[in-house]
Amino acid sequence: MQSHGGQVRGVHDHSPSVDDRTDAITPARYARRRLLKSALFGEADGREPMSSARSPGALNSGVTHAVTGTVLDVSPHLLVLQTAAGEERLTLAASTTAWRCGVVAPTALRQGDRAIVKRNYARIAVADRIWAEIGRVTGTIVEREAGTLLVDEGTEKGRKILVIPPHATGRIQVRFPRLQPGYLIDVIGLRRPGFVEGLIPATSQPPYRADQPPSPPMVSGHIPGSISGTATWHEPGEEPDDLLGVAYPALDPETGCEGCARPGDSALSPDGDCASGGRHTRGHTRGHARGPAGGRVTGIYGEGPYVAAAAGHHAARYAGDFRSAERYAVDPHQAGPGCVRLPYLSLGSVLRIRNDCAQRARELPVTACGAAARLFCDRCVTCGTSPRGRVADLTISAFVDLGGELDRGCFNATITIGG
Amino acid sequence: MLSAIREVQIPLLAAMLLGGCGAKAIRVLRTREIRAGPGPTGLFPLRLRRPFAMGMCATEFGLGVALLLTAGRAGAGLPATLVRAGTAVLFLIAVGALVELRERRPDAGCGCFGELSVTPVGVRTIARAALLAAAALATIGQPPLRMAVSASEAELWIGLLTVEILVFAALSPEIGEAMSRLGYSEPCEVRLISVQRTLAALGGSAQWRRYAPVVTSAAPVDIWREGCWRYLLYAGEAGSRSVDVVFAVYLRPRRPQIRAAVLDAFTDEILTESPGCPLAVPEPLAAHGLAAEPSRFRRQPEPDVAGPLSGQQATDVPHPLDVTRHRAVSRPLAGLAAPPRGKALARQAGQHGSAPF
Repeated sequence: MQSHGGQVRGVHDHSPSVDDRTDAITPARYARRRLLKSALFGEADGREPMSSARSPGALNSGVTHAVTGTVLDVSPHLLVLQTAAGEERLTLAASTTAWRCGVVAPTALRQGDRAIVKRNYARIAVADRIWAEIGRVTGTIVEREAGTLLVDEGTEKGRKILVIPPHATGRIQVRFPRLQPGYLIDVIGLRRPGFVEGLIPATSQPPYRADQPPSPPMVSGHIPGSISGTATWHEPGEEPDDLLGVAYPALDPETGCEGCARPGDSALSPDGDCASGGRHTRGHTRGHARGPAGGRVTGIYGEGPYVAAAAGHHAARYAGDFRSAERYAVDPHQAGPGCVRLPYLSLGSVLRIRNDCAQRARELPVTACGAAARLFCDRCVTCGTSPRGRVADLTISAFVDLGGELDRGCFNATITIGG
Repeated sequence: MLSAIREVQIPLLAAMLLGGCGAKAIRVLRTREIRAGPGPTGLFPLRLRRPFAMGMCATEFGLGVALLLTAGRAGAGLPATLVRAGTAVLFLIAVGALVELRERRPDAGCGCFGELSVTPVGVRTIARAALLAAAALATIGQPPLRMAVSASEAELWIGLLTVEILVFAALSPEIGEAMSRLGYSEPCEVRLISVQRTLAALGGSAQWRRYAPVVTSAAPVDIWREGCWRYLLYAGEAGSRSVDVVFAVYLRPRRPQIRAAVLDAFTDEILTESPGCPLAVPEPLAAHGLAAEPSRFRRQPEPDVAGPLSGQQATDVPHPLDVTRHRAVSRPLAGLAAPPRGKALARQAGQHGSAPF
């Protein structure tokens, strides 16, 4: 996942050193862009001030309603989490529900579980919902062996192994009838060492192959200031667990994440990484390993890529089949703009995202490239039917903070550019 | 009359085949991807799509050329019959493929004319293929083409050809798509304009000429885009004071609007006027003739809306000793030169006018 790292790194016809650019990119610089913009355009930048927001929902209340950490202890009345900021104690109410392989009592959580908690909006010390070891695999199936799938999540995120247990196969195949290479998949499940155990379909499978997403409708005049569609979430990857941000599907190709070619392309360096020069993305390697043909498998929590073998899955087979898997991998940057027209932005740009189901809104910065979301021309039916197309791929903390239910996979969202 | 109808089919069929092949080739050249093509190609397994698409295009091209070559006396007889029968078979197969495509992929276009054929396959598209098949069958056994012997015969042929073209146009959803594209201008928010073009536009602008004396970095230290505007940040010096010069360039092909502002590099004090803001002109900048009336204007820090960035001094006024910040400002982006100055600027202005592109 490209994150806070590649904003100005690639420009055509130049061969700059990647480090020369990325070293200078800091979150402080992104934040300062807004100040520079207001120096050019005036305070309000021609937009309505945020205090006049039309939504009745909460807006940047200043308190994050999502807490991420490791379970230290759990009792019927108290959950103790080890977070990045230290130990966090949350009260468990009678209404508190937890998810771990399904809806369970909070006491079913285990010590050491990675959990994300949604606080109660009224009583902030009370946990409302808890999700433990929840994971998600979103991308193109590039290899399948029985119930084990190798899924390509795009050039930024690498690949994941998805194992669908027999008891979940029927449930997933109702929504994903084509579990074949070349088709898209989006499944939520339990994070295991080296793979994700798929349990719940996060959406319905688009009928087209991953390399043939529909074209967006032509837009006359300007792109509307507010765009509705689907907001989803993604696993943290190399981002901090508690990052509040959004992977935006339409970063400026000139200065964003566009153009990192597929592993094996001539534009790549021999080790499969994006070569310097041209438009590219520098692949982060923490938590990843490369396949023989340059394919990258994302480990879960930094586990090695082939530890699936330890779980009884033939990971070695994947090592040998990477070359054939390349045939089905789709570079989202080459697949067109997706089915919704979004204005080009850059890392650090601010979006106002509203959860139309929970009536909550928040301004979030663009923290990563979400080009893979363009492949999905699906709808969210969490509350009514959303327009087609994914408009934001939120970090897990942002999704929960906005009132999203992780095990539902999406919410109907409206984004406003610039906040 | 029937003979006249048969006479006009061969050039029409050849034009359709060569046009289809050309449109497909243009799509491949634009996307550089053969297997992702729309139409019946999508019914095949991925590994077969490339050979199928290439074979389809080659067949169309071959039959189109062969129809023309065998239309006269040179190819009369068996070669002409084989080519025309092959054309008829091709269109009959196309009818079957389109029916199948409509059943299995109701959202897919036929791909007959590349990117223009994105409208889902409907009765019109199938009827067109059937009509072409019938036209090809009608040409089997047709004697070699000849010139019209009289003006009235030529008028009849032209009239029939016009009617048939109108019929095919009515059956072709591609016409509407082509007309839409001809009159379509992409919104500036999604328009692709390179950084180099933006730099060229900036270099030819009055705003750049005005602020160039302050700029010290050889290249922008930061570039970003939001919708229709691309922003370029340069490091500069006004007297002994470090400043940041930021430009906003509107992304349109000709005569883009350009705005500029100068800020103190450490305090973020705005040193030039901006819309709705009073002017702040410190001594060093006034020495460069960049401002008029001095007044102190100190911009307050922005409200914290950047979420996670705020944890890392996202919106705080940077401290002069903020090493991270200082590095960020002092390191220009490699490979991006500043717009030309002085003679180079004049030369560029001479070459491109006020709007370099």
